[in-house]
Amino acid sequence: MEYGKDYGKPEMMAAAIIREIREGDVVFHGLASSTPMVAMKAAKALGKEFTYVTLSDGLDHDWSNPPTVASTLTANTYEGSVATFGLDEIFDLYASGKGDIAFLSCLQMDKSGRIAMSYLGGDYDHPKLRGPGGAGSATLTPVTPRTTIWKTVHDKRTFVEHVDFATTAPDINKDFTLITPLCIFRKPAGEKYLKLDCIFPYTTVEEVKENTGWIIDEKEAPVMDPPTEQELAALKRVDPHNILAFEFK
Amino acid sequence: MVKSPFDDTEVVCVKALVPDYAIVHVQEADIYGNCRILGPSYQDALLARAARKTIVTTERIVGTYRMQEEPKLTAIPHMLVEAVVELPGGARPGICYPEYQTVTWDDHKAYQKAVKAGEVPQFAAKMLEGRL
Repeated sequence: MEYGKDYGKPEMMAAAIIREIREGDVVFHGLASSTPMVAMKAAKALGKEFTYVTLSDGLDHDWSNPPTVASTLTANTYEGSVATFGLDEIFDLYASGKGDIAFLSCLQMDKSGRIAMSYLGGDYDHPKLRGPGGAGSATLTPVTPRTTIWKTVHDKRTFVEHVDFATTAPDINKDFTLITPLCIFRKPAGEKYLKLDCIFPYTTVEEVKENTGWIIDEKEAPVMDPPTEQELAALKRVDPHNILAFEFK
Repeated sequence: MVKSPFDDTEVVCVKALVPDYAIVHVQEADIYGNCRILGPSYQDALLARAARKTIVTTERIVGTYRMQEEPKLTAIPHMLVEAVVELPGGARPGICYPEYQTVTWDDHKAYQKAVKAGEVPQFAAKMLEGRL
């Protein structure tokens, strides 16, 4: 597999997301989440058995419906579902401890996994940028056993030393993962801070450090395998319009 | 954060939101306000329960027999509904499954512009031209 020829950052991130999903998991992705949407469809195409819930109300929709836009609220995540299960029901399910993964994103994050989704700059009433707030983030992050944040940029504006206003924060007793275009950080259950878990084949620990606003203690990290041919074929199969690329433009 | 009434843990309490109005667009409603949402319903039924008054716009008015055939499909019952407006295309420039499934981007951009310019009534008048 050659970076830039057979795969790029979108495919690597999607493969990393696919590999997070275990057999039997209950898995959620949020609004405007084309990256995990395509990855979760591909995981289904690869034969992984897991329950797919999302905001469209669709539960285990027909994964072969191709997305045509980056919105995750279109008919493609609804048609062919075996049941309807709305966001309020999903929140209750996860609060009851019956969810496994929530794929969520953020505006900013710090080393302890505190996430800004409400605003950036200024103060709460006079922000420079008003965010969407944290419906899924605030509700699901503290109760989900393996909250996994995906973010398609990796820079010091996003991964900062300290988040001023945390919309949500992980439970210290739960696993928490951050997947970026360069690497994966993990906060294991019982620990407070994110650690560099592995880097992707086309980067270095130095590059990750240069683009991260918090201090990374790890001097080296294992390199994750590039996407397999099967993973790439599955991504292509479920995403013929290459919606996966949308977040990376 | 408050102390849980069941044990020593701390629990988060969130004050209930009570909007004056909920405005909900559905595919089918009868003249009494019984609503069927034929597709993703998001939190529309919760909104109707939370609000003091709910105004429903609908793609079409149907006979109450539709609800009587499949009462489980009634997402919002009539006693929660203050008014029903028959308004095909009422969710545009957004989407209403399965009637229209793509956002009308030109109108959506015009709406954003109207919000910034404080000209939403003019935008609404243009969208509704010849329809009411």
